[in-house]
Amino acid sequence: MMTKSTREATMRALVELAAQDERIVLVSPDAVLAGRAVPFLEKYPGRVIEVGIAEQNAVDLAAGLATTGMKPVVVSYAGFLTMRACEMIRTFIAYPGLNVKLIGLNGGMLGGEREGVTHQFYEDVGILRSMPGVTVLTPADAGQAYQAAKAMMEVDGPVYLRLGSGREPEVFPEETPFVLGRIREVASYGDDVAIFASGFVMNRAILALEQLKEEGIHGTLVDISTVKPLDSRAVAAVLARTNCAVAVEDHNFYGGMSSAVCEVACHYHPCRVIRLGLRDVYPRSGKPEELLDAYGLAVRDIVDGARQAMQRGSTV
Amino acid sequence: MTNSELSRMANRLRLDVVETVHRAGDGHPGPCMSIADIVAVLYFEEMKLRPEEPRWPQRDRFVLSKGHACPVLYAALARRGFFDPSELPGLRSLGSFLQGHPDMNKTPGIDTVSGSLGNGVSVGLGMALGCRMQKIDNYVYVVVGDGEQQEGVVWEAAMAAAKHNAGNLIVFADCNNNQSGGKVTELSSLYPVSDKWTAFHWHVQRIDGHDIAAIREAIRAAKEETQRPSLIECTTVKGKNIPYMENNNAWHKRTPTAEEVAAAREALGGLI
Repeated sequence: MMTKSTREATMRALVELAAQDERIVLVSPDAVLAGRAVPFLEKYPGRVIEVGIAEQNAVDLAAGLATTGMKPVVVSYAGFLTMRACEMIRTFIAYPGLNVKLIGLNGGMLGGEREGVTHQFYEDVGILRSMPGVTVLTPADAGQAYQAAKAMMEVDGPVYLRLGSGREPEVFPEETPFVLGRIREVASYGDDVAIFASGFVMNRAILALEQLKEEGIHGTLVDISTVKPLDSRAVAAVLARTNCAVAVEDHNFYGGMSSAVCEVACHYHPCRVIRLGLRDVYPRSGKPEELLDAYGLAVRDIVDGARQAMQRGSTV
Repeated sequence: MTNSELSRMANRLRLDVVETVHRAGDGHPGPCMSIADIVAVLYFEEMKLRPEEPRWPQRDRFVLSKGHACPVLYAALARRGFFDPSELPGLRSLGSFLQGHPDMNKTPGIDTVSGSLGNGVSVGLGMALGCRMQKIDNYVYVVVGDGEQQEGVVWEAAMAAAKHNAGNLIVFADCNNNQSGGKVTELSSLYPVSDKWTAFHWHVQRIDGHDIAAIREAIRAAKEETQRPSLIECTTVKGKNIPYMENNNAWHKRTPTAEEVAAAREALGGLI
């Protein structure tokens, strides 16, 4: 399996954009190395504001910068941003709708893997999704992250971009479009079941779709890379075709993409949605692929989830 | 304005606060009184502003970190011409643009959201750096309470401001030794305040926060220091100039009765 860094891809996009817009500035709570921002620092030394290990200050400071018309991008670990600086994001950026971009590293178990729970973050999407006015992006690989970074800088308002460890599986051709606010059908063999996937488990969702096909189940795989605002009507349209779905993400069971899909199902097209994610537990340190397998995100789990979704009536 | 005119303006703002909170039926009058002189000097003498163009990019910025004292800020904005003083009693009411705590998108002249304590120095630092990067020749003024300096983010910002040589950042510490739950000195070991800012490499001054001449002189000295951010420790009295409010923490958040408004008017009468 080829891997490519979402962190490097994102920073490459920002370096390119910064050449055309000198209001773009990085705010770093000691995250220049982690965020792979050395090329940005070398090219624009006056446009990196290093604040030391102080995420709350980084977020507040970015809010202040944005009030003057600058376009700050705060880079840090997903949990230190969305949990330690949670209220700063909510009150000082989201509430006034300021043009601040937030890049969260180590999204999911896969993102933090061997570091353990302190550096694995599976609550970020749920936390930010609960705040009015925040756009939440979960690109599936490095190529998508590059395009997502460019797309987010077009938004005049708060956007969160969820990145990983820097060793994300490469799943899509580089030229694959990323359209902010839209879902994308990755592949469709039929309407037996929908697989909604988000982020760096996309490779597993693709394998599951193929496995299902071999087992005679013809599904449709949908990439949800903008979790908020969710393309609800498009999700509903897929559900109307399949009448069942499995939703898979590297995030806790509550609040993430799979919750959002269920909210859409409840409102527009009630049907069975099996959710796959971390089942409300704290995992352990481990090698990335082993971790995902151990905590319910194996290809087989997705296949079984799809089969379960297709069963009519009670499965209890 | 002359010093005595500024002093009278500060008292005018104090009376505005008492009347506003009385008519609105809710608000924090006590914390307004300790900063009224600072706010008067800033809005009626020091700050470069255009009331007819509130978002004028070249303007000086103001961050009321202790956002619950916004009635005095709203009074200053109204008296300075950002909006009509008749709007003041709308405070905290649905339909009014005067929120319970400052909101940059609803109230003309407000530069940021504030009121969640401890964040103002950091937001102000961002403004100072943003203005400097765009070569805007201005100052960012922040008023931070003493109690809210118990929040850790204040010191994160203090560290960063010195490192980034934010000479265009001037912070007033409103040291009235009262906070919601009692005396600051009883709830924490914050004092002495100025020693801590000195240790964080700031340019530090100590003044009587009700002495107009001292406030003006401290701002002049702060502006002369171009490399370091400035902290002006202002010794103040919560409830200042309203006899029944002075140093009475019951007035942290309380609505004056009609009789109390009359008493305030009388106490301030000769001072306005």
